[in-house]
Amino acid sequence: MSTDKEVEVKFRVFRFNPKTDFVPRWQEYKVKVNKSTTVLDALLKIKEEQDPTLTIRYSCRQAVCGSCGMMINDRQMLACFTRVLELNSDVIKVAPLKNYRIIKDLVTDFSELFQKEKQVKPYIIRHDVEELLNPTGTYKQTEEELLGYIQFADCIECGMCSSACPVSATDPLYLGPMILNRAYRFISDPRDLGFEQRLEAIDSEHGCWRCHFAASCSAVCPKGVDPAKAIQLLRRALVKKGVLGISSSKKVELIPMGHVKGKLELPKGWE
Amino acid sequence: MKESKRMFLHYVSGLIILVTGFIHLVANNLPGIGTAIHESILYPLNLIILLSALLYHMLNGVRAILIELIPGRCAAKAITWIIFLVGIALYIYGLQVFLNLFWPVG
Repeated sequence: MSTDKEVEVKFRVFRFNPKTDFVPRWQEYKVKVNKSTTVLDALLKIKEEQDPTLTIRYSCRQAVCGSCGMMINDRQMLACFTRVLELNSDVIKVAPLKNYRIIKDLVTDFSELFQKEKQVKPYIIRHDVEELLNPTGTYKQTEEELLGYIQFADCIECGMCSSACPVSATDPLYLGPMILNRAYRFISDPRDLGFEQRLEAIDSEHGCWRCHFAASCSAVCPKGVDPAKAIQLLRRALVKKGVLGISSSKKVELIPMGHVKGKLELPKGWE
Repeated sequence: MKESKRMFLHYVSGLIILVTGFIHLVANNLPGIGTAIHESILYPLNLIILLSALLYHMLNGVRAILIELIPGRCAAKAITWIIFLVGIALYIYGLQVFLNLFWPVG
């Protein structure tokens, strides 16, 4: 059997331009696809050959950037990571991600999400400012410490988890699984000392306690991050520290490294 | 009070409801040990603890639902206060019923 055998598939694509349209509409296209055609390939083919007005957002085409998240057959998926024929459907329904404002057609607005993300300070916070400004070494991490958060660091911020979350659908102020996962990723990092600074956001009425543990976020995550687990671990950390007063003293060893101080010494032959 | 403390109390009150609810069922339905509990001080004490835990657990649940359904930080604070005042009123009423039932005056 030839792997390049082409099959015609019908695409029902959501079309809506908030600037000109009163209501959204569905537009149908027929596209010839083969075994390796992804939904993104098919949409780009539609754009190139049939309808240049179709608006899509994409970048890396290899499930790394998280730009092309959309509803494919009513489920949150990355268009670049979903093969059309693997969907086993004659009609492929493509719509923008739920729970976000639509900019145009399949493109949604993430600015509110990233604005909310700032509340949890998604970066490593340390008190040794002098060391940060003039580094003399590198912070030591054991393999166990790394394994404690590495899964949560795999998030590509595609926003599909927040789109699948039933609480995000009803409560616009809820931080959502993506942001809470980011918060836990840094809180569980042994180098980070910013737990208290993130408390106001994560321990609020619209923070991690609003999660119903539907686990839809983990079910749709294309990178296997499991934000639902991160939220439960975040709750445990909050109860341990905020309620029971058990504080884990993080002491990260600084390994002095000569080449870090001052000008970086390049290996021989690299000059 | 921080949300973590409120929710921790929510879980603890859930466990208390399980224990005190079980004692209440035993006291009302089992002869022997049930009758013994019914006639001791444990019965009204258990009922008061059950009432406290049940009211907290129920009203905090209602608060969480309302906070989700009515967005806004000011709305969240208003809901918390209204629920708190309703809880106090219901608790006083419940306590008064128990006091009249178990320790009637005159």
